Amino acid sequence: MKITVRAFARFREVVGEIQALDLPEGSGIPALLGALASRNDESRDLLFDEQGMIREHIIFMVNRKRVGRSALQTIILAEGDEVAIYPPVAGG
Amino acid sequence: MLSEREIMRYSRQIAFIGEEGQERLKAAHVVLAGTGGLGCPAAAYLAAAGVGRLTIIDSDRVELTNLNRQILHWEKDIGREKVVSSGEKLGAMNPGMVIREVCETVTMENAPSLIGQASLVIDALDNFPARYALNCAALEYGIPCIHGAVSGFDGHITTVIPGKTACLQCIFPDPPGGSEFPIIGTTAGIIGIMQANEAIKYLTGRGSLLENRLLIWDGRDSSVTILDLERDPRCSACGDHLPGAPGTGGRR
Repeated sequence: MKITVRAFARFREVVGEIQALDLPEGSGIPALLGALASRNDESRDLLFDEQGMIREHIIFMVNRKRVGRSALQTIILAEGDEVAIYPPVAGG
Repeated sequence: MLSEREIMRYSRQIAFIGEEGQERLKAAHVVLAGTGGLGCPAAAYLAAAGVGRLTIIDSDRVELTNLNRQILHWEKDIGREKVVSSGEKLGAMNPGMVIREVCETVTMENAPSLIGQASLVIDALDNFPARYALNCAALEYGIPCIHGAVSGFDGHITTVIPGKTACLQCIFPDPPGGSEFPIIGTTAGIIGIMQANEAIKYLTGRGSLLENRLLIWDGRDSSVTILDLERDPRCSACGDHLPGAPGTGGRR
């Protein structure tokens, strides 16, 4: 199934302009992030911590709706879904 | 009441917001936390717009590396307190504005007393622990807080209205790491001016605010994306389980 990924800020710089990602049916956010992380080490570092856990400060939206921490592991993606990934900035 | 000189000084915006809008700006007390990359442009436009009282808070002194973006601090100011350096320029820009300079770090302990009298708070800080402290104090007093943050070519901004919108901790429950960040000066300029724009809209009752909306600016291609947000009822700062929630100014 095709999933549209919208990458923002630093993440966009690291993974580039991804439009569509092909994932097996029934995949969730972890599978999507795994596919993105396999592109290069910088992507992996940005998405996962040293223990392989998804970095908690990143904002994920599916079809423009925020996905909370608890739903991150359980939500199942469907053909045509749009996933936005925003690692927030902090400086001033 | 506006003086004749004030009516002339602000005539180009009074034509748009009316004398009533201008009087609202004059009556306002804005507390600006941070006089760095975001705070300098935000403060400059608030001073130019005729905000009556501005409290500026910053514990830092001006460094050479600040000068690519912190436009109220100049070569001659290196080593001076940022609140003194920026207070001087803002006072020269608009002598009619009452400026209070506070050279302190924003903490959970001092944030309530720093912002207690404000009509509006602007979060132009550079780290999340201080931002969370400001957010909590603003929720406690029911004061709107305009949050902005930047790094590199990226920035974001949202307006928090206690009891109505997602608060900073709903949106960012976990702090992004890192203390020293690369920054293009114009990114801070754009987001800082957007913060001033939100402030002017809120104070004059014009337009619509970035309520429950996170505006993300990407300076690489000058694109703007708006993410819709929601209050988190289980938020550790404004959640429904807290006494006096949802944050209508009565948490004490």
